[in-house]
Amino acid sequence: MSRHKSALVWSGWIVATFLATIFMAHTRGAFDQVHVVLVYLLLVLGASASGGRVLGVSLACAGFVLIDYFFQPPFGEFGVGKPLDWLALTAFLVTALVSTQLLARAQAEAEAARRRAVEVESLARLGSETLSAGRAEDALARIASVIRSTLGMAECTIVPVEPGDSAAVRASGPARIDGGSGAVQRLVIPLSVQDRVVGTLRLENATPVRLDMAQRRFLDAITYYAALAIDRVRLVAEAEHIEALREADRLKDIVLASVSHDLRTPLTTIKALAQSAAMQGNDAGAAIEEQADRLTRMVSDLLDLSRLKGGGFAAAPELNTAEDLIGAAVRQTRGLFGGRTLRTVIDLSSPALVGQFDFSQSLRVLCNLLENASRYSPPSQPIELGARRDEDALLFTVADRGPGVAEADVTRIFEPFFRARNATPDAGRAGLGLSIARTLAEIQGGTLTYSPRPGGGSVFALRLPAREVGADALEQSIDSISNG
Amino acid sequence: MPDADVILVIDDEPQIRRAVRDALREVTARVDEAANGTAGVDAAATGRPDLVVLDLGLPDMAGVDVCREIRRRSAVPIIVLSARHSEHEKVDLLNAGADDYVTKPFSVPELAARAKAQIRRARTFAAAGTSGPVAIGGLLVDTVNRRVSRDGTQIHLTPIEWQILATLLAAAGRTLTHQQIFDAVWGREFGSPQQYLRVHITNLRRKIELDPASPQIIITEPGVGYRVDQPR
Repeated sequence: MSRHKSALVWSGWIVATFLATIFMAHTRGAFDQVHVVLVYLLLVLGASASGGRVLGVSLACAGFVLIDYFFQPPFGEFGVGKPLDWLALTAFLVTALVSTQLLARAQAEAEAARRRAVEVESLARLGSETLSAGRAEDALARIASVIRSTLGMAECTIVPVEPGDSAAVRASGPARIDGGSGAVQRLVIPLSVQDRVVGTLRLENATPVRLDMAQRRFLDAITYYAALAIDRVRLVAEAEHIEALREADRLKDIVLASVSHDLRTPLTTIKALAQSAAMQGNDAGAAIEEQADRLTRMVSDLLDLSRLKGGGFAAAPELNTAEDLIGAAVRQTRGLFGGRTLRTVIDLSSPALVGQFDFSQSLRVLCNLLENASRYSPPSQPIELGARRDEDALLFTVADRGPGVAEADVTRIFEPFFRARNATPDAGRAGLGLSIARTLAEIQGGTLTYSPRPGGGSVFALRLPAREVGADALEQSIDSISNG
Repeated sequence: MPDADVILVIDDEPQIRRAVRDALREVTARVDEAANGTAGVDAAATGRPDLVVLDLGLPDMAGVDVCREIRRRSAVPIIVLSARHSEHEKVDLLNAGADDYVTKPFSVPELAARAKAQIRRARTFAAAGTSGPVAIGGLLVDTVNRRVSRDGTQIHLTPIEWQILATLLAAAGRTLTHQQIFDAVWGREFGSPQQYLRVHITNLRRKIELDPASPQIIITEPGVGYRVDQPR
């Protein structure tokens, strides 16, 4: 309450007390002492309610004196005759003081509750603004202005921290309060979310401002929201970045697929014409054809890469036999081994090894493995391709006597584009063979693993689900044909 | 010496037509060209070629449709050129009546060899009258008496194995899809391909091939079907 208003209230109630005293003194005969005491009580209550505790207490004491002087015999003198009069006086004073006190406390509590309500309301408003501001940066500006107006500071800025700066901010320490009085002129508060410093809050005023308990609590709470707002700015930026990356990735896959497709037509012409020229004895033709083949392999690899990433390999597993697969693999890789022997190891005396797998995809796996083996195996050593039953699986193995795979590389050889340190220059392959092979194995419900070969070299093992085919099942189909 | 009188090339890209023409120089003197599906079907009907080389990706008709249209009117062998390694596409085309399938970029000697094989097969088929035993890969097959032998020793085949071998021989030089083999052996009423077909083929190979793990008589076309090469 301002001084001016307070002076008015005081004088108002004093005048009222004065007037009431005079009036009652003149009409002393018409009133009982009780009425007088009650009137003064009313005055005290009214004065406390509007003027505060001090005024209430003052008027209570004044009332005590006035009742004694004017309204208790002997009249016009200070002095108390009968004991009952003492009772009346004391009762009045106690009542007046207690009620003043009670009133004052009730008012203080009401004031505190009102303040808290205002705090909660502005915090809630800030909370919703932090989450819903159109641009994340706007939330920061709004929070700063709310703090500024609530605390009555001239300036408030919230500064997000650059990734490299967080150490510096933490070092500058918690809030600095100028002066010992608890008054604040300049304040720098670090803002953190989950132990991560995300920015600072700076408050400044021309003159020191006292912050009471409620305001300090408010400041504590608000700094949390400010930290959240800063974090939101960062998260929104990250999400946009990820979305842009994903879009770029998708576009890249589309381009990859369509370009690879379109490249095949000119390559066809080049290869055919070069072959014709080579067949007529032109050496340049043979060289051109070789390069055209190399380009074709690269295009295939690129296409495979885009399918690998885009989930374009769908398996259609059917009942197939190990021998059929081995035979096809041998046929497909004919001419690849440059003089090296390819030895097949399969037991043809026991019933046919039957499994449930996708023939073309498994063939691709074996061919990739055989191609790999031919690249790393020394010319004098044979490459072994085997198939056997291993519990509930068919196990296909490709073994060579090459340098093997270094321990450090073993877990990485199946990654796309990975090339071991001791790899031979690849004649155009992009390093995708093993990663494609493993993907193809896995989408059929199988596995592809590497293990070092005893005596030197590598063994790659492809496991595929095996199936039993009883003689009766085959018999049944015979019945159907003889009846058909 | 050229084996054929006329080969028809259906392709919308002039460079590919030229490349195919060059590749088949050894096979024939005369190569007709068509730049789209409709023209191709017409040329096949009027020109009566001995072989059609059909490229997919034509502007006006799908490859399977061109195949079917040509097949409706004649038994001329059709070799399909495709840019994609798609078994699914291959099966569809073979089922629609194509005889062979080559992926671009193709190797010239390979295309020439396949062209020659298809033409020869068609000629042999046209000549018909396979009454005598057929010799293939060291095997002697007597289709009339249903007997198979190697070096004088008779080989016993189950009825299904015999039917599969006979079907493949009747279409020698052509790849038969799993569906086509199934239809011929078990008949259409049985629905989707009998799942044990490949097991039967494996057992058949064990009986008739010198090295079942490296078959020379029954060749696997991965993801598509099987074929038996033309007996010489």
